[in-house]
Amino acid sequence: MMRMPPFKLHTPKTLNDALNIARELSNEEIEFDWIAGGTDLLPNYKWHLNAKPHVISLSGISELSKLNSNHIGAMVSLHDLAKSKYTHPVLVKAADSIASTLIRRSGTVGGNICLDTRCYWFNQTEQWRESIDWCHKCDCGTEADCRVIPNQNTLCVATYQADLAPVLMCLGATIHLASVNGIRSMPLHNFFELDGMTRNVLQHGELVTHITLPEDVNEWKGDYQKLRQRESWDFPEAGVAALWRMGTKGPTQLRIATTGLESIPGLHLEEANNAISKWNGSNTIDTLADAIRKSVKPVQNTWYSPSYRKKMVKVLTKRACAGLIER
Amino acid sequence: MLPSAGDVSWSAEINGVNKRLNIENNAILLDVLRDQAGSLGTKRGCDMGTCGCCSVLVNGEPRLSCLTLAAEVDGAAITTVEGLADGHHLHPIQAMFAECGGSQCGFCTPGFLVVTSALLDENPNPSDKEIKCAIEGNLCRCTGYQQIVDSVRAASDILTKGLQLEDSTSPKSDPHPGFSGG
Ligand SMILES: Cc1cc2nc3c(=O)[nH]c(=O)nc-3n(C[C@H](O)[C@H](O)[C@H](O)COP(=O)(O)OP(=O)(O)OC[C@H]3O[C@@H](n4cnc5c(N)ncnc54)[C@H](O)[C@@H]3O)c2cc1C
Ligand code: SF4
Ligand code: FES
Ligand code: FES
Repeated sequence: MMRMPPFKLHTPKTLNDALNIARELSNEEIEFDWIAGGTDLLPNYKWHLNAKPHVISLSGISELSKLNSNHIGAMVSLHDLAKSKYTHPVLVKAADSIASTLIRRSGTVGGNICLDTRCYWFNQTEQWRESIDWCHKCDCGTEADCRVIPNQNTLCVATYQADLAPVLMCLGATIHLASVNGIRSMPLHNFFELDGMTRNVLQHGELVTHITLPEDVNEWKGDYQKLRQRESWDFPEAGVAALWRMGTKGPTQLRIATTGLESIPGLHLEEANNAISKWNGSNTIDTLADAIRKSVKPVQNTWYSPSYRKKMVKVLTKRACAGLIER
Repeated sequence: MLPSAGDVSWSAEINGVNKRLNIENNAILLDVLRDQAGSLGTKRGCDMGTCGCCSVLVNGEPRLSCLTLAAEVDGAAITTVEGLADGHHLHPIQAMFAECGGSQCGFCTPGFLVVTSALLDENPNPSDKEIKCAIEGNLCRCTGYQQIVDSVRAASDILTKGLQLEDSTSPKSDPHPGFSGG
């Protein structure tokens, strides 16, 4: 049995109440985490990974569960997202590929976007980590070094392994945040921030309320391809999303994004724009796939080797782009 | 170690019976069910969301109780494996797991039964693909899964075609030929 660390759970019923609890805790300099579906946070807590003394649950806040073609609330479950008639088909495919049906019932969109980064030196029991004298991301006060890139002790290169972000970035999603200081929003690709411990731009006490998608979202076609050990529920070892708008002579717009390869997901604007400007069918896709492979820098901290994951990025990009040349 | 009963009052309808308990504020549903509500049918496998042994129905929806905070399901209707049978009459899915070899060592079985009973409630005639998809979060180390899919298929036939449950206590062969009394 995994012993839960002690923490106090708060269960607010409105967004305002949640933000006010966060403000009170912040004023007293007490650390806390948000919890949505808990399918990432609770396993991490059971392994005593950076557990906080207070946890604020978002599950009672119904205003965060709104879902339609252009608006996805942070608390929409992955199950509901995948089953909704409003969801873009490529987003359905990505959502359906996450974890298992059971986990998708609890796991949420907000939790997926804010998923903690992963590393096989980190996602281990407390005893296991103690046996290797910890690592920088959860050093238990020892100032332990990073096990992947040693002798630097400032950077964590744990991998971002969530599936929704690349598809949402290609669909032009905007992410909306709230705190007691007000609301703000930004293109999703600007939300993520290096390194593996910083993860994103969220300030203490700030949370994700929802995602919006542009009006033209249904004019974009595409695919999401994922590499993993077991089809049933494994995290992406690499994931590639490709979305495009078609003209008469080929794509007029193309976006490619990747996940599972670095500490933040990547939107490969330059490579995609080059492909559009020199469009020549399958030859262009080959060149594009190679350019995406060269642009990603996986490290040795997931189950497959970095070189294999890089090679597979090329294969996945080609597969994701196959619809561009199908007639 | 059993968790000490904390100071939060919690209630749920567990298998149709209203329960009121004092639980720790951060208690996990699996711990409450096993250690305080007496549902030992709900199994602890991995405790990390990977095996499905701890599955229960929360308001009819399958959930992993090891990744559910009890406080978040305060007031809910919870069905564990103990709640599937109707008195002494097994649910068809339970009877067919016994008939078709869907259960061997049995440790994973409560999770499979809960998940597949929810599948049949929602979709009484699932395809093999739909059955496999429904059980993708449940691990079984004994059966190799085919017997589990067969069990669900057989239960579906009972539910949709009105086939009768076989009496699994009637002998299938004569263990002592020639000594049948008489
Ligand atoms: C066996 C297993 C397999 C998995 N496989 C996959 C997979 O294939 N692909 C994949 O992408 N994920 C996978 N996951 C991870 C996880 O289940 C999903 O990513 C899920 O969407 C996380 O959502 P959640 O609501 O449960 O997050 P939580 O655990 O509640 O939260 C995750 C993190 O996000 C923060 N957070 C949550 N909501 C907000 C918000 N609104 N604002 C600010 N911060 C927030 C939390 O504080 C926490 O740090 C898997 C998990 C398990 C246990
Ligand atoms: S990348 Fe380094 S610091 Fe980060 S979790 Fe892995 S070993 Fe620890
Ligand atoms: S005990 Fe809950 S999934 Fe394994
Ligand atoms: S019957 Fe033994 S693990 Fe499934």
